[in-house]
Amino acid sequence: MGTATGIIKALNSGIKHIAIKRFTLRYPEEKLKFVGDGYQFDPSTGVGIAGLKGRHMLFHDHCTGCQLCSIACEGVAEAIAMVKVPDQQTQNKKSIMPQIDYGKCVFCGLCVDACPFYALYMTNDYELSSFSKEGLIYTPAQLAVKPYVAQDSEIKITDRGATHG
Amino acid sequence: MSAKLPPGLALQKVDERIMTLNVGPQHPGSGHMRIIVQIDGDFIVACDPDPGYVHRGEEKMAEYRNYILNIPHLERPVIHDSCNVLYPYVLGVEELLGIEVPERAKYIRVIASELNRCIYIMYWLAIYGIFLGHSTMFMWPAGDRELLIDLMEKMSGARVTHAHFVPGGVRNDLPPNFEDVCLRQVNYFEKRIKEYAAVFYDNPILIARTEKTGILSRQDAIRLGTTGSVLRASGVDYDLRKKEPYDVYDELDFQTPVLKEGDSYARSKIPWLDMMESCRIIRNALAKMPKSGSVRVKLKPNPKGGDDSVYKRVESGRGSLGCYIVSDKKPEPYRLKLSVGSFRNLIALPYLLKGEKLGNMPSVYWSLNYWPVEADR
Repeated sequence: MGTATGIIKALNSGIKHIAIKRFTLRYPEEKLKFVGDGYQFDPSTGVGIAGLKGRHMLFHDHCTGCQLCSIACEGVAEAIAMVKVPDQQTQNKKSIMPQIDYGKCVFCGLCVDACPFYALYMTNDYELSSFSKEGLIYTPAQLAVKPYVAQDSEIKITDRGATHG
Repeated sequence: MSAKLPPGLALQKVDERIMTLNVGPQHPGSGHMRIIVQIDGDFIVACDPDPGYVHRGEEKMAEYRNYILNIPHLERPVIHDSCNVLYPYVLGVEELLGIEVPERAKYIRVIASELNRCIYIMYWLAIYGIFLGHSTMFMWPAGDRELLIDLMEKMSGARVTHAHFVPGGVRNDLPPNFEDVCLRQVNYFEKRIKEYAAVFYDNPILIARTEKTGILSRQDAIRLGTTGSVLRASGVDYDLRKKEPYDVYDELDFQTPVLKEGDSYARSKIPWLDMMESCRIIRNALAKMPKSGSVRVKLKPNPKGGDDSVYKRVESGRGSLGCYIVSDKKPEPYRLKLSVGSFRNLIALPYLLKGEKLGNMPSVYWSLNYWPVEADR
């Protein structure tokens, strides 16, 4: 192939893309769709359930304060600290529950695998930015709130190319 | 310079014609490493790669964590190829602990590792494009990579650093309807990467810049101990997926691309051909995978290995990647050694750059499929 034809061919393949819809996800306006409600773990079978590894969710009525999540995190990120909580739960004699520092968390989900009482799951919430370091520390009360995550966009493939829409 | 030097030190003799130039370590092109080049006019006389700026002590860190907690930090050396970095470790621990992995988990691992290989190569290709001043080739792979990152996100829950492989299988089963989505996106991905031929690989400007630069002969490639795409671009058909099949690679139908030229162009083309084979492997594995079944063996908490050592290696995006684990009946490994492809390929750099023009340095350097963080561990 000659130099001129090669260059024209290269230009052509780029020019074709003027007519094709853009693939880019326009992030704050559009948000990606995920499978499920987030990564969960079933201790009875020892297998997880697929989902996004985002911000955690803590079920106060299941947590026994056994610290297994905190011990698992010690070898990874040291993001989980056990703190005193005001509410008295019958299964949680010591009244301690995990508090997670998202400035340190690497979202590996090994704390979820460590929990044998179905108390700690992960959710689809990934927008955790804050103006202060303290804002990244989620107390047990904050972790108990189920987040709302807008999910409206997924990859669509047509004959003319792929788009987020 | 009349002052007497302390014993053991000597002044270096400097040739007036030779200039020493430091490329890196803050250079965006070099990554976190430095290449000391000595140039005579426009030609490189000598070159001394200087890695080690992003040493993280991965091997030492592994000695203080048990076999499960080692997973998140061991995939950090190459976050784009995190499944392949974990693969030898996981295989090694399985042999140490004597675990038999379920069949479905083996197929999921192969699919995840091939998707990761493509993700890594796309990132590498994007940087190769921008090194040569080809900004379309930066944008296209960076965009098309999203198709596969989306699949990995559905599969494992994270876009990079998936922490998906564990000794005994994978962390979670595939989400419902994954096979169809995977097949559709991988087919489209393959169609897209074939379009790169017109804009990049058949582009006469690229060919003029990379052909016959930095030629590594077959004998030199073997003698210097290069692996992966560098070795296969020099005409040696050596791929661990074929030579030492692990998991289910021996049941899958694929080929390993080999080129004879050994120049930068061949080295940049091999990963691209590899991606097409990866697409073929993924389709093949999706068809052969058992439709249901267990994906993970339940382990005891804090599993302990015997008084034993094990060495496992896999073909990563950058070549053979080995993991040597010594166990001394404790929950933590006594010693863990990563033997990485990046470091082996870097050894070829001083040989390739001798006599090259300085302008060819980025293309020759990045065609070695080198990832600084992996080499430093």
